[in-house]
Amino acid sequence: MIDFLTLAIGTLAGCSLLLPLLQLVKGRDWNLSGYILAAVLASAMVMVAVFTLSPSDLPWFGSLLRGDALGGVFALVTLGVTLMVTLASLETQKGEGNPVYYSLLSFTALGMLLLSYSQDLLMLFVAWELMSLPTYVLAGFDKKLRSNEAAVKYAVIGAMSSAIILYAISLAYGLTGSTQISAVVQGFSRLLAAQSDATALASVAILLFVAGFGFKMSIVPFHMWIPDAYEGAPTTVSTLLAAATKKAGFIAGIRVLLAITTAYVVTQNPAFTMANVFAVLALVTMTVGNVSALTQKSMTRLLAYSSIAQAGYILIGFVAFSADPQSASASIGMTGSVFHVINHALMKGAAFLAAGLVIMQLRRADLGAFDGLGRRMPITAFTLTVALLALAGVPPLSGFWSKLLLFLSVSNAQFGWLALAAILNSAFSLGYYAWIIKRMYIDEADAPGRVKEPLWFVVVFAVAVGLIIGIGLFPQQAINLSSAAAAGILG
Amino acid sequence: MSFVLSLLIFIPLLGAPLAYFATRMNRRNGIYFSLGLSTLVLLTAAYVLWGVYSSPPPQGQYLFQERSAWINFRFLGLDYYLGADGLSSPLLFVSALLTVLAIFGSRKLIDTHEPEYYALIFLFEGAIMGVFTSLNLILFYIFWEVVLIPMFFFIGVWGGPRRKYASLKFIIFTYAGSTIMLLGFLYVYLGMQTPSFDIPDLAGNVPVSLQYLPLLASFIGFAVKLPLVPFHTWLPDAHVEAPSPISVLLAGVLLKMGGYGFLRISIGLFPLASAQFAWLFMAAGLFSMFYGAAAAVLQKDLKKMIAFTSINHMGFVLFGAYATLVSGSLLGIQGAIFQMFAHALAVGSLFMLSGYIHHQAGTREIPLLKGLGTSMPRTAAILVLASAAAMGLPPFASFLAEFMVIAAGISAYSVTAVSILVPVITAGYFLWMIRRAVLSQPEGSAEVHDMGWSDAASFAVYLVPLVVLIVASYVVLTPALPVAEFLKRIAIG
Repeated sequence: MIDFLTLAIGTLAGCSLLLPLLQLVKGRDWNLSGYILAAVLASAMVMVAVFTLSPSDLPWFGSLLRGDALGGVFALVTLGVTLMVTLASLETQKGEGNPVYYSLLSFTALGMLLLSYSQDLLMLFVAWELMSLPTYVLAGFDKKLRSNEAAVKYAVIGAMSSAIILYAISLAYGLTGSTQISAVVQGFSRLLAAQSDATALASVAILLFVAGFGFKMSIVPFHMWIPDAYEGAPTTVSTLLAAATKKAGFIAGIRVLLAITTAYVVTQNPAFTMANVFAVLALVTMTVGNVSALTQKSMTRLLAYSSIAQAGYILIGFVAFSADPQSASASIGMTGSVFHVINHALMKGAAFLAAGLVIMQLRRADLGAFDGLGRRMPITAFTLTVALLALAGVPPLSGFWSKLLLFLSVSNAQFGWLALAAILNSAFSLGYYAWIIKRMYIDEADAPGRVKEPLWFVVVFAVAVGLIIGIGLFPQQAINLSSAAAAGILG
Repeated sequence: MSFVLSLLIFIPLLGAPLAYFATRMNRRNGIYFSLGLSTLVLLTAAYVLWGVYSSPPPQGQYLFQERSAWINFRFLGLDYYLGADGLSSPLLFVSALLTVLAIFGSRKLIDTHEPEYYALIFLFEGAIMGVFTSLNLILFYIFWEVVLIPMFFFIGVWGGPRRKYASLKFIIFTYAGSTIMLLGFLYVYLGMQTPSFDIPDLAGNVPVSLQYLPLLASFIGFAVKLPLVPFHTWLPDAHVEAPSPISVLLAGVLLKMGGYGFLRISIGLFPLASAQFAWLFMAAGLFSMFYGAAAAVLQKDLKKMIAFTSINHMGFVLFGAYATLVSGSLLGIQGAIFQMFAHALAVGSLFMLSGYIHHQAGTREIPLLKGLGTSMPRTAAILVLASAAAMGLPPFASFLAEFMVIAAGISAYSVTAVSILVPVITAGYFLWMIRRAVLSQPEGSAEVHDMGWSDAASFAVYLVPLVVLIVASYVVLTPALPVAEFLKRIAIG
């Protein structure tokens, strides 16, 4: 009896490989491949959900993958975002729809699915590359100078981060003799307990992991490529990068970095506290993201910087965890992190797609395009308003609850300053979010008149807004789910 | 288990989309629908006011309580927890009343984007009802923030020439203030032996060492809303730019959130720290009273003058509330509650009048308004009456409220007797305004229309309760007594 997760992996793999064959069929409506991918993604989500409800062993994958709730949540989030992107692409790729485009999306989804469950550093790296390589092509899919420039920059930085990760993996393997994450953690603990000379190398390995994953997680100072890539890539692809592959960076961070961090906490290594490293990274990331967002003139860049700031909030959970993995604060913090990952995928996905629709229909990306949008594209404007308010953490929207959990987890004597900084950042961020809302509803459009809002976008918007408000009003289920997922790493 | 308070919150919240579609289909029907719906809320609020008056809840307890589990995770327990007492019920009533009046006034003064306008009014009303009834700090904070969103759009979309600036300033100021307040709540929560966000659990039980920082944090949140000088700078901008019915809600309802917060949370949860620094709060209130009055003298714009009057009057609330913590005289807190009620009606009527005057005469500049007495006799008569109410002249209830507050102030520190000068200055600038605008000779032959009889009659709804209340003050003061006794007991024993 084959389990549902293996089935989902197989379905996605088959879809990725077979979709390009549709290219051979001449004179067909290429949107067909988009519909196929959407159906495959939806069924894969159902399969993953069923699997997460009753996890079982994965005999086909040995010790490479383990089906836990943490993987389930990340798999659902990343597949869900890919589904949103696929549906939106049905409109943006209309007429020029290309089976290869959807095949690449499918490969990315497969990579993220495998990554979510990876238990072995080599498996993790393979999944990482499977996810990243197609996105380099997708970022340049527009065949415009801007798009190609973004793709090249993204590919170079991406290759560099892969190299760094690989170097870190080889160090870890050299030190512990295994690529199995749990074995690496044990090996690190032994090294630290024995106070051997190799502890310095171990610390180097950890910092290399931070840097390698940090590029995808968009942590300052590894964030420079983000605004350029998001701005140049087709907006649907930017949505994928911001709302999905970034989450993959976080699952890798949780699975590897936090697991290894426990080795440091257990041995109480005084020279090297990961909590402080994460705290500084979180503070710098959210502050740089928010301050830079304030001065942006283009919507995609603004959302890119806001996305960087949100990564800083997610890191707060890492701080609480690495300060003391056994404490209640760690549990609340990791739950908040996972919850914020879910929320951020929804909020940022909706915001990017709304911005993408505006760019597609009005053919401009500067903030002026949003003047008077409330009259011209009411559904898009409303979606964007809800998403931006949720990003700012205004209650009772979903973003408020995850931020509340995150802030609660560090409201203690040691990291109270981080909670204060995060809350002030949150208040500050409303400045630029409200600025966009002001443009949409208060400023006058220079070219009035309704603009068409295509059906699939409206469907995606309705689902996203419904979830943002629904989770906001009744967060208990989402908190339970995140908490179950966080339990995986808390051990 | 009662569900009256939920009705107060959810009739408007669920009515908001209905009002949108009703007004979209037919403007006239939409306004009738909105009036009907808000009247229904008013009747419910009147029922609550009556319930609390006829059997005032004992000290530290609440009537019409509702409680159901909402979120439960680790040590984070949040309940949907509502209740009303002598502090909240007058505010619920006056908020519902002013909403009806604002909708009535809007039918002539608002003529763009009406469906959205009426929907947002109900969103605002529902959130306000939530603020005044929540007994859970996080629930309170959520409603508190929701209030901002409609107000941002009111000022920004329907406001005057500088509306864009004013709306952004408003939302950034108040949001920054309230996030700091939230941090204070989290601090208390995590510091408590048995963590709780429930106001009845916390009242009188927060250890004194845990009170100082949250008192400061909540002070920032509430001082922005009240507003207290020097946190007031958003208010004149917001008021001048907001359309008049919204100014009514802004002054009559939104500012009360600040006063309510000071009483319910700053004093109610952090009483010992409050009592220690009561003199400082009284001084801040006194400074606001003088500053507001003095600034009002200098204003040429009628509406801006009324806005500064609000700062002056809300200073009384803070001053009175903290006077009780010094002297133990219950008059202070009772007077503060009464003052919030009276100020809502008096200033509400003035803001609405300024809207009519602007609409009919085309200007609000006091030096340009000449001879209203002859050109717009009905408007002028109401302006004189409303000014008298704002000045605190008997037989308007504002007289009694200010009297109580000043008396409590003197019993605390006799030097605060200087506060008696504030009503004098207030009377001075109102009389000066009346002399210039009403009693002067009309200029030019421009045709000016007086307001209709139906509009004039609507002002009776503002002013008559003020006259009635000076006789029937017990309706507000009796239920306010246990609240004042409770706050006094937990603060100074």
